[in-house]
Amino acid sequence: MPQPVTYRGMALIVPDNDTEWKEFYEHARAHKLVVRKCKACGLMRYPALHACPWCMDLGWTWQELSGKGTIYSYEIVHHAIQPGFKDATPYCTVLVEMDEQRGTPTPDESLRIIGNLVKPDLGFEDVAKAAIGKRVRVVFQDLADHMALPQFTLSGEPDQGRVWRLGG
Amino acid sequence: MANLKDKYCIVGVGETEFSKNSGRTTKAMAVEAVRKAILDAGLKASDVDGMMSYQNGDSTFAPFVGPDLGIRLNFYMDVVGGGSSTEALIGLAIGAIEAGMCKTVALFRSMNGYTEFRIGGTGARSAAPVRGADLAQVPFGMRSAGQNFAMTFMRHMYDYGTTSEQVAHVKQAHSRHAVNNPKAFEKKRVTVQDVLHSRWICEPLHLLDCCLETDNATCVIVTSAERARDLKQRPAYIMGVAGRVSKPRVDYHWAHGPISRVAGYYAKDIVFGQAGITPEDVDITGSYDAFTFTTMLQLEEYGFCKKGEGGHYVSSGIIELGGKRPNNTSGGHLCEGYTHGMAMVVENVRQLRGTVDDTCPGAAEGKHTYDYSPGKCRQVKDPEITMNLGWAMPATGSALIMRK
Ligand SMILES: [Zn+2]
Repeated sequence: MPQPVTYRGMALIVPDNDTEWKEFYEHARAHKLVVRKCKACGLMRYPALHACPWCMDLGWTWQELSGKGTIYSYEIVHHAIQPGFKDATPYCTVLVEMDEQRGTPTPDESLRIIGNLVKPDLGFEDVAKAAIGKRVRVVFQDLADHMALPQFTLSGEPDQGRVWRLGG
Repeated sequence: MANLKDKYCIVGVGETEFSKNSGRTTKAMAVEAVRKAILDAGLKASDVDGMMSYQNGDSTFAPFVGPDLGIRLNFYMDVVGGGSSTEALIGLAIGAIEAGMCKTVALFRSMNGYTEFRIGGTGARSAAPVRGADLAQVPFGMRSAGQNFAMTFMRHMYDYGTTSEQVAHVKQAHSRHAVNNPKAFEKKRVTVQDVLHSRWICEPLHLLDCCLETDNATCVIVTSAERARDLKQRPAYIMGVAGRVSKPRVDYHWAHGPISRVAGYYAKDIVFGQAGITPEDVDITGSYDAFTFTTMLQLEEYGFCKKGEGGHYVSSGIIELGGKRPNNTSGGHLCEGYTHGMAMVVENVRQLRGTVDDTCPGAAEGKHTYDYSPGKCRQVKDPEITMNLGWAMPATGSALIMRK
């Protein structure tokens, strides 16, 4: 796999032996959001852990998700640390709770994925639109022939639960 | 360590100046801090035969510090880590002594946290390659401690109605403490409004919600209660310790909520169980203030108030000198200097001795005025028990309970 892939000044390094990220990104490049699903108990995990955190089984398959979820928390960066983000401030980073496997196997557990809140065209979204409870869907930012980053954009679906934003 | 309660002590403490321009190596600073702690304890170099430190690839190592002071080591260990390491290593030092590996351990943290390696990730580290577990968040502009922790506080605001104004009281309180600490880097009273009007760094964090970045070294010396008896200082007896206790999925703690819960949820039973006390018995807390809200999250998680009422607790006056249970009486990371937790243990040891270094003329002999107005006393009156709540991140924390 050609590397590193450079994105916003960062060298993203995915060695060939890091199959969990390598294959995750290859699926993302095909615009599929996938997670590992345990062959024994059927539970899914993110990121792609080597064994199942619930039953320790080593067997797994890639499972595609709908890509739909709800903003569980967020932050708005005004003072960027990474040089490649300096011209993007303020930008919003979201923690998205995916629709699949919500509150499973215990009420505290869910598939939650971090991304930026972007417009459908992948430009950073107006940070004033970020709020807990807003519905989002995955979009893919192609970085190379073998790699794309999953990002999230507002889907316009009805809000889920109480919607809240800081100062809103 | 139920059977080890009160059998080990901190007998010496020391630190360098807190600055933004040490002009020295981490080795030079570590030597000074360890030397001061040895002298503070009334030990000789030959009495110290164990040395430990923690760092993140930004500091010197124990075997390069001991020899400067003529110390021959029977045991040393340098570990990777930042916040929450102090308490964990104190526990490991007890273990090393208990195992018969050594008798007295000096434990240091030395960092040019402003001039060489800035913890916030600013500088050389900001453009470091991203691989492995970091791929799940760093490509999204989430690299610094503030960026890593902010979503936890945001969700706490959502879950419990906690406000920026409430946690700003932490900075206000610690700044008042720092003004009474001659060695504090930032000796300036800051108000809640100052915090709220400071610029955003990463919502919900304002600039003044974030701690200082400083150059400094700090040291504590751990030995047995038996050995402590003939030393110079009143020992601070260790009643309980918990080290780097973690939430489930510490690799990616977002997977296991509630994310407004922090590791103290799991650590509290260990440390209070060992000590055989409850939060109500604690006179002074040292709750890690990398940010205003980390202090709040830990105080509530360890049970100093009900879960979700941390915002009320830290804004009620309880945590200020003169309040029921002052927190970080030195000014902490927000105002004294950034030490990855060590200075908060140092401060509690001095509080238990009754000899904090304020401007009271008899401070060194334990004669204090208990007048907490600006520039005056910061000694708490007759504290019996202190507690340190160390923080690495929402998913990992440590704790230490000491008594006089
Ligand atoms: Zn399984």
